[in-house]
Amino acid sequence: MPKLLIVDDEIDVREFAANFFRKRKIEVSTAASGEEAISFLEKNKPDLVLLDIKMPGIDGIETLRRIKQIDNSIKAIMVTGRKPEEEQAFETCKKAGALDYVHKPLQLDELERIVLKNIK
Amino acid sequence: MAIDYKKELISAAKTMILVHDLRLLIRIIVRTIVQKVKVTHAGILLFDKGKESFVLTVSRGSKGLRIPEGFARMDNSNPLIRFFTLRLDRKILKDGSLTTREAKRKLKDKKLKPAQKQLLKAAIYQMEIFEAVVCIPSYFHDELLGILLLGEKKNGRDFKNDELDFFAALASDVAMAIRNAQLFNELQQELDKKHHLFIHTTIALAVAIDAKDHYTHGHTSRVTQLSLEIAKKLMKKNRKKFDDKMIEQLHIASLLHDIGKIGIPESILNKDGPLDETEQNRIKEHPIIGATILNPIKELGDAILGVKYHHEKYDGSGYPEGLKGKQIPLLASIIAVADTFDAMTTDRPYRRGLTKEEAISEIKRVSGKQLDPRIAAAFEQIYLEGKI
Repeated sequence: MPKLLIVDDEIDVREFAANFFRKRKIEVSTAASGEEAISFLEKNKPDLVLLDIKMPGIDGIETLRRIKQIDNSIKAIMVTGRKPEEEQAFETCKKAGALDYVHKPLQLDELERIVLKNIK
Repeated sequence: MAIDYKKELISAAKTMILVHDLRLLIRIIVRTIVQKVKVTHAGILLFDKGKESFVLTVSRGSKGLRIPEGFARMDNSNPLIRFFTLRLDRKILKDGSLTTREAKRKLKDKKLKPAQKQLLKAAIYQMEIFEAVVCIPSYFHDELLGILLLGEKKNGRDFKNDELDFFAALASDVAMAIRNAQLFNELQQELDKKHHLFIHTTIALAVAIDAKDHYTHGHTSRVTQLSLEIAKKLMKKNRKKFDDKMIEQLHIASLLHDIGKIGIPESILNKDGPLDETEQNRIKEHPIIGATILNPIKELGDAILGVKYHHEKYDGSGYPEGLKGKQIPLLASIIAVADTFDAMTTDRPYRRGLTKEEAISEIKRVSGKQLDPRIAAAFEQIYLEGKI
């Protein structure tokens, strides 16, 4: 079963997304912060990481950088807001090695497609 | 027993019309449905003009099914949205609500055109993504405002026809309420704009009065500030009396309290020295002139009284009518204290202004004689708090 790590500070997002992807035959782990994600990734290697940009503590961009230092082959998709500064943030993420991104509020079918495409 | 939640929903519909806060309204609706109808989850997709898409505004229900607010959206091109905006619901569904069970049955219907079938299939898939088994659209004059999504019933049974009928009726109430709330907000914005225009016009007028009287430059804005500060202080003791309307009238009255000076010759206003009796009598006409100028503006209401009586004195020795004590309107008594303080502390060509300390002790001295003692006391407190 493919493995997905969901990183988001909002519990409702983690639980909804986890439930959503478990039903699609994906093994899901969650992390509530960048720090939690990093310590998880030091011991585990999921096939894909779904990473929220705006989080208290280490934000998504910095988390991505550190993830890439741990293992450059880890794949990540960023979740961004619609605000222009966050769109620009995605450019930074792309340089840091993110595969793709989705905008909040997001279209669930688009999220499904992007995750399924990249997790194989 | 089976349909007693209907009553709850009807009463919700009644409150709906009174709630003008759209988000609150939708929250009430969704909460009522989840609690009373006992579904696993429910949410409302609401059209968001700014984002040009339908955003899942509120969602409630069990863990993992509850979708975080503002997390999901459907663009206009989304099959479920298109299904409803093209009004396929009216063409192929009888009661306006789309259930996955009915939709799957319809897919086998030979009369359905291939394009319709394809769209319906895609719409069902969208519902499955949200784990919704029923979708109820809300229209206002054929414009799709939102879609209510419902999960399964917790007891696992299908929704009955009368329940679906009822949801459809509720949805039309919801549409009305949403539209109502939107119109209310638009109207409120329009009113705010008009109100700003009114206040700014009043301020412009106040500046014009100040410009005419060279020696009291800035007097109007200082009296306004002081008057509002006094009202804030008094408000802590009597919230009922000092409501928003009263504060607003005080604001206007203090801005316009000297507007009658427009009718006084500048040679008197700007005279280099003490005024003789005739001149003093002319000056004393300014509250009446002010009230006469403002009288045609009925919307000003009691604010005019504040202008007319701001030179009355507590002991009855003031003008124009020699009102006494509680006969003097509160607005006027407040302005009187602020006006007296500012007049005392301002330099005149024939005398230097008092210091703040001197002026305060003078106010204390004339409290209960010239000035209303409650207001003079409040003023002294404000001074002691360092706000003057």
